[in-house]
Amino acid sequence: MLLEIKNLTIEFHDHDRPERVVEDVSFSLDKGEILGIVGESGSGKSMTALAVAGLLPRKKMEKSGEILFEEKNLLTLPRHDLRGLQGDEISVIFQEPMTALNPTMKIGKQVEEALLLHRHMTDEERKAKVMEWLEKVELDDSERVYEAYPHELSGGMRQRVMIAAAMVSDPQILIADEPTTALDVTVQSQIIKLLLKINKDSGVSILFISHDLSLIKQITHNVIVMQKGRIVEQGDTDEIFLHPKEEYTKKLISSIPSVDLRK
Amino acid sequence: MLLTLFGVSFLVFAAFEIIPGDPAISKLGTDATPEMIAALREQMGLNRPFIVRYFDWLGDCIRGDFGRSYSYNRTVISMIGDKLPITVTMTIISMLLVIAVSIPVALLLAKYMGSTIDRAGYISNQILMAVPSFFLGILITYIFGLTLRFFTPGGYISYRQNFAGFIGYLLAPSVAIAIPKCAMSVKLLRSAILEEWNKDYVRTAYSRGNSTMQVMYRHVLKNALIPLITFWGMAVADMIAGSIVVEQVFNIPGLGRILLTSISNRDYPVVEAIILLIAVVVIVMNLIVDILYRCIDPRISK
Ligand SMILES: Nc1ncnc2c1ncn2[C@@H]1O[C@H](COP(=O)(O)OP(=O)(O)O)[C@@H](O)[C@H]1O
Ligand SMILES: [Mg+2]
Repeated sequence: MLLEIKNLTIEFHDHDRPERVVEDVSFSLDKGEILGIVGESGSGKSMTALAVAGLLPRKKMEKSGEILFEEKNLLTLPRHDLRGLQGDEISVIFQEPMTALNPTMKIGKQVEEALLLHRHMTDEERKAKVMEWLEKVELDDSERVYEAYPHELSGGMRQRVMIAAAMVSDPQILIADEPTTALDVTVQSQIIKLLLKINKDSGVSILFISHDLSLIKQITHNVIVMQKGRIVEQGDTDEIFLHPKEEYTKKLISSIPSVDLRK
Repeated sequence: MLLTLFGVSFLVFAAFEIIPGDPAISKLGTDATPEMIAALREQMGLNRPFIVRYFDWLGDCIRGDFGRSYSYNRTVISMIGDKLPITVTMTIISMLLVIAVSIPVALLLAKYMGSTIDRAGYISNQILMAVPSFFLGILITYIFGLTLRFFTPGGYISYRQNFAGFIGYLLAPSVAIAIPKCAMSVKLLRSAILEEWNKDYVRTAYSRGNSTMQVMYRHVLKNALIPLITFWGMAVADMIAGSIVVEQVFNIPGLGRILLTSISNRDYPVVEAIILLIAVVVIVMNLIVDILYRCIDPRISK
């Protein structure tokens, strides 16, 4: 078991009343596994993902439970040690490829950043690694992309860049928070195929977050269904789609717009 | 751009046509006879129609001939050329001070946003922004010159005599010019940093293992400086104009000094040339701002 989350609870304290956005969430992620988190908007998926990535602010919120990675609890790990894992063992790609990249920094510089922070490499070795990943994410004309700025690329290309930047350090866990929601349908399926290929080739575990059940069904091995910050149901993806136990899950599945017709 | 210069030159020329005062009278003094005045006007070419004189002057300016001073027996070029290095040096020192001080201070205030440091910074900023440079000049002269004796008030040293001493003397007036601009820069930069801090790329930078300082220097600062460039460009032109008063306070024989004496002497060729020069500086600064924008913000098409 690579990652284990035990009784994760997240509360906001920035309003008068504390607001519980994630409650008693437990799950685990194995090596090479693609685990889906599905649920309607506002159900706490992103908060869970950000907690695992160590990106929740320290102030104004209270977190309890455990996020165990290599016998370390990420919730209580000193900041410096946490930074050592971020971008090295745990990487993230976000929903909005249009704004997730720094507009005034060249693509090459952004993709290489994790290597700069976590690896001792010569400039040539680093550039070679970056070029390798720009090609692995199927960006044509990778030399040009290396020198380009984000605004010169389309949304799909930027999401490929984000994937390259996340994978360049060969992390063990890739957290993908709605990575295709902002993209149009054809680009979406290309990105999904790419993620599957990367999972197969590098063995990286993926925490795949989406509100889109048909996507979850296509790519995940196991799935967690969330509602209002709590886990409703979890288990093997095919099993849950065939025999959902909870009413909420049944309702979600029945609302998928005719998946089979698309094939 | 040339059109702007043309417009400014016309306005300047026309303004001195309209405001009262006759260069011939001020040159001869009040007890001159009307005949003497008429003769001098004739000799100075002031009797020709306004438009003819304007184009005559403009033509000369384009050829690089700004004429001779009415009151001193020197060409305008040599008078300005003599004083320009003083004002330019002062402006450069002020600008360097603004940049060197405002960036770290803004970073500090942004880092401790909402804390006592931030609030104290905000209050002192509001005060410093509102205090005019000449008053700061008087204050600095009083405190650092008269009381602490860091420099001798009025002891201007020419750059021809002793360059280090020259710079040393200009330091105090430069600080007086820099402080209000610096306060404004801090305010603008602090809010630009806080605005950038909420953007998505900051979270991405954190997710790669950057520390807060690394996120700041590697990612946020460059983006936050973009809105500052315009302000700094305007500040340079402003400082040159503002130095006129501060030069008086510190008794510095710079451009401001000759501008003031030329105005009271109705020495129009000198005044017109200086105003044109300021217009050129404003236009050149605009150009530089444009170029800097292109360098720092790749989204502006080349
Ligand atoms: N700063 C905040 N203060 C209070 N509640 C918040 C804050 N940010 C997000 N939330 C709440 O947390 C809940 C979970 O959000 P999120 O994890 O982003 O949902 P999802 O990703 O599943 O759409 C939402 O109900 C949202 O309103
Ligand atoms: Mg979300």
